[in-house]
Order: sequence, then structure tokens, then C-alpha cells
Amino acid sequence: MTQEKNKPEKDLIRELAELLGETGLSEIELERQGLRIRVARNMMFTGSPVPAAAPAPHAPAASPTPTSPAAKSEPGDHPGAIPSPMVGTAYRAPEPGAPPFVEVGSKVTQGQTLLIVEAMKMMNHIPAPRAGTIAAILIEDGQPVEYGEPLVVIE
Amino acid sequence: MFDKILIANRGEIALRIQRACKELGIATVAVHSTADADAMHVRLADESVCIGPPRAAESYLNIPALLAACEITRADAVHPGYGFLSENARFAEILEEHRITFIGPTPEHIRLMGDKIQAKDTAARLGIPVVPGSDGAVETDEQARRVAGDIGFPVLVKAAAGGGGRGMMVARNEAELPVALATARSEAKAAFGDGALYIEKFLTRPRHIEVQVIGDGVGKAIHLGERDCSLQRRHQKIWEEAPSPALNAEQRQEIGATVAEAIARLGYRGVGTVEFLYEDGAFYFIEMNTRLQVEHPVTELITGLDLVIEQVRIASGMPLSVSQEEVTFSGHSIECRINAENARTFAPSPGRIAYFHPPGGLGVRVDSGVYHGYRVPPYYDSLIGKLIVHGKNRTECLMRLKRALSEFVIDGIDTTIPLHTALISEPDVANGVYDIHWLENYLERE
Repeated sequence: MTQEKNKPEKDLIRELAELLGETGLSEIELERQGLRIRVARNMMFTGSPVPAAAPAPHAPAASPTPTSPAAKSEPGDHPGAIPSPMVGTAYRAPEPGAPPFVEVGSKVTQGQTLLIVEAMKMMNHIPAPRAGTIAAILIEDGQPVEYGEPLVVIE
Repeated sequence: MFDKILIANRGEIALRIQRACKELGIATVAVHSTADADAMHVRLADESVCIGPPRAAESYLNIPALLAACEITRADAVHPGYGFLSENARFAEILEEHRITFIGPTPEHIRLMGDKIQAKDTAARLGIPVVPGSDGAVETDEQARRVAGDIGFPVLVKAAAGGGGRGMMVARNEAELPVALATARSEAKAAFGDGALYIEKFLTRPRHIEVQVIGDGVGKAIHLGERDCSLQRRHQKIWEEAPSPALNAEQRQEIGATVAEAIARLGYRGVGTVEFLYEDGAFYFIEMNTRLQVEHPVTELITGLDLVIEQVRIASGMPLSVSQEEVTFSGHSIECRINAENARTFAPSPGRIAYFHPPGGLGVRVDSGVYHGYRVPPYYDSLIGKLIVHGKNRTECLMRLKRALSEFVIDGIDTTIPLHTALISEPDVANGVYDIHWLENYLERE
């Protein structure tokens, strides 16, 4: 596939992505002349920049490698997602008014407290299973969480 | 009345509870393990909370997780179903401490009937006929021998902390007694954490007949007739019917009244079942289950009463919805338990249900949480549904059951439907002439 052949697709995708933003649609799919393009808005992440388009052309045209996870995947599917080990209420700070344990971009060491899940007045510190950087925080302060619910993403 | 009930169970009974709550206009919370995320009742409930991984000890038996789920959903009552924590007095107590209503009896009564020796003593004190046996636990083999000699062989050695057909061993004569005692003791210790034993006369050809009761918790109780659950394999019921083919109206009335009066005097709250062995016209109390039973639908179909709705009403402080005089019995009902097992070998058969088509029509009820494409998980007991039919009389009921079974399709896994189909053709079953050993004898013959 030559560069020249890719260009029209790239422009088209960029156009569709802008259209998404303008119209507030979450998904646009276009098909013509053996080419089908679907551009979708990823609404799942909070705290990290939301990509406006995840290009996924089905045509022979080469597809640029997505720099963010494909539009349809759940944030919990991310290999760095940390699931809640229990049912309770998640808190981002040690107490109301205090600064949160971590923010997006924080570098954490293994065992460092990421947040608290509280159940029946007992505060359970949730430790980082490994060192890394917080890529996303998937819960809000005071949000009820269930067993297995993805809390943060560490990369 | 409650605003929100948390259903602390799974499978068909969780769906049963969900349905009753919906009819009462009460919001529901379905808690589930990761293996049950696609369960039908989870999909139908207003809210759901995943409480743990597949293992029951970490999910359905996980009291802290259940409490946390109550907390985050603000449920004001918990329905425990049957099995799991339904007869766990500690769970009932903890909920009480947290001002959450446990839909069931008081912790005291759960404990009372959970200890099989105490239960028997209580029953005797309340005037319920009991099986002759040791008065309390047997401490030594010598004592066991004396007791067995008094009541006469054969005897049954039973675990005081047991129940549900587990922790029991027969000794047909004095020579077999020491081994029976030693085996039962170690099994009891392993299964229930308590090796205490007692001895009862072993009845050779009894029927299992149980009486359904409901108490309002403040001194009133009624009975809703009996169920015959004699067809059992390894002490697990597979077929139940109401009324019992073995009783006449007079016997039914008498045992019902005796039991209702005793339960009223106990001050019992909620539904319960008093189980008897019945032989040669005499009833012998074996145990009381302080919860809803699997086979409750047969009673519902002959009385027209919704037992789960009754449970919720009573738990919320309302009186019984009917008096004893208002209870009427109409027709006959039979329930077949459908297990995900091979109908001949009883090997468990979890997996994906490739095709599901339940029967229907007048007098046919299917209580099941499975559906087309559902995956039966391998982690829990094998009951996947119950087929319950009702007819004007036992003959019509049998014809309807035969018809319904012939329509029932569950493909992709093995089920015990073929066993039920075979049983209807057996003359003894068709005539209602069977005892608690009948099914195992039949299975050995086949």
C-alpha cells in the first residue's frame, strides 16, 4: 500500500472524527466502493484525554495503529486494570478534605495505597500490586463498588 | 413494608424471590458471584452487586460481602432462600444488629431446630410424636449399646449437628454398632465440626411426609397441609407431591392440627416445615426446617397461596393473610426436580444449554432460572429447575405431568428429565405406593 493511497482515507477519517465532535454523535460508519470506515467515540475513560476517533478501516487500506485501546473494549479489559477485591464504597483520599492517594499520572510503588474501599465502617486500603504509573482512575470518590469492579489502571 | 430486599441466593429460588418482590412492588438487589453474572434473576433485578468469585465460601456464604452489599444498596431486608445462609443463626443475628430484617425465624429458633437433639426434645415437649431413641447424645459406645438394645435394632446413628440427610449410619445389629458409631462420628466432625451423636429407631419402610406451617411470630400458626417426599436418592428428594397418597382426610387434619398448635405455642415466625417418617399409621418427627423448602410450590398449587409473599408480609410485621378455616385444599400437585445430571449415572453435567423449551398449558408451572443459551456453572448444586403440575385429582395430575415432561426440551447438557419420564410409567409410582427406599431399589434394578 502506497502513501498516496492512504492519504484519502486519512483525510476522510479526520473529517468523520470532526463530524463526531460537531454533532455529538458517538459513532459514525461509512461504506462505499469496497471501503468501510467506522469511527467511534470512546466514552469509558475518566481523567485521561478522551480520543475523539478510533480509526478502524475494514478496507484494504492500511490502518494506522490505534494509540488508545479500541473503541469497543471495556476499561476493565485493560491488562493494567486493578479490580476491587471486595464490595464497598470507594474513597480516593484517607479522609474527607485530604488530598487523594493518587492522581492520573502519579507514579506508584508496589504496595502503595491507591484508594480505600470501606465496608461497615472498616477502611480497607487497596495496594498497588506492582509499580507503575496511574493511567486512569475509573471510580469517583464515594462510589459504591462491587467485587471485581475495575478501580484504576496502572501501566 | 420493605422498600428494598436483597436476595442472598442464586438459581431458581433467587428468581422465585425476585418474582414475589416484584408483585409486592418491592425493589430487589441480586447479589451474585462472578460465575452467575448472567443469571436470569440478576438480569431482572433492579440492582445487582457482584460479591465474589465462584466459590460459595467467598460469595454466597461470605457474610461480610453480603453486609457490604446491603450497605451500599441500602437494602432493608434480606431473603436468604434455602441452603446457603438460610439456617445460619449467626447471619440472622448479624443482620438484626445492623437493623436489616432477616426474612425468616428468630436466631433462637434457627439454633433450636438446628441442633437435632434439641429439636427432637422441643418437639416432644410440644406434643409432636417423635422417633424412639436415645434421650440426647450418646457419649460412650456402651451407652449406645444399651439404648439400641432398649429401642430394638435396626438403629440409625445420627449427627446432632447434621440434617438434610447427612451424617447418618445404619447399624442393623449389635455387631455393626461400633463401626457405625465411629464412622458417623468422624463424618460428623468433618462435615459439621461437631462429632456429637444420637441414636434413633431405624424404620424399615417409612414414607417421608412433611407438614408446611406458617407462624406470625406472635403466637398464631397455621398448617398448609402435608407433602410426600418419599422418592429420594441418597437422601436427596427428587419428586414431591401434595397431598400424600398415603393419608386420608382425617389423618391429614389430625397431624396438621397437632403441628400447627405446637408451632403456635413455640411462637414461631415465618414459614417452616416439620418433617416426619410415617409408618403403619404412625408419625415420627425427624427434624424441622426453619426456612422455605425447595418443594414449596406443590403446597402453593393446592392452596392457592404464595408462600414467599407470606414470608415477606410476616417479616414486615403483618399478620397471616389467612386463618386456618380459610385454608382450602384443591386437587393434587406433583413436582419433579430437574438436575443437570445424567439420568442414569447422575454424573454432573454443567455446560451450555443449546436448546431450551419448557412445557406450558393449564396447570403446568416451571420454576427455573435457566434459558436458551444459558451456561450452567460447575460450582454449585445441580438443581436447574422444577416442573410442577396441578390437576383436579392425582390421576389427572399424572397425565398432565406425563404430557408436560414429553414437551420439555433441554439440549446441550444431561438432565434427569428421562428419569422422571421413566418413573411415571412405574405402577408403584402411578399408584402412590412407595417408601423412602423405593427409588434406590428401583435404580439398582435398572
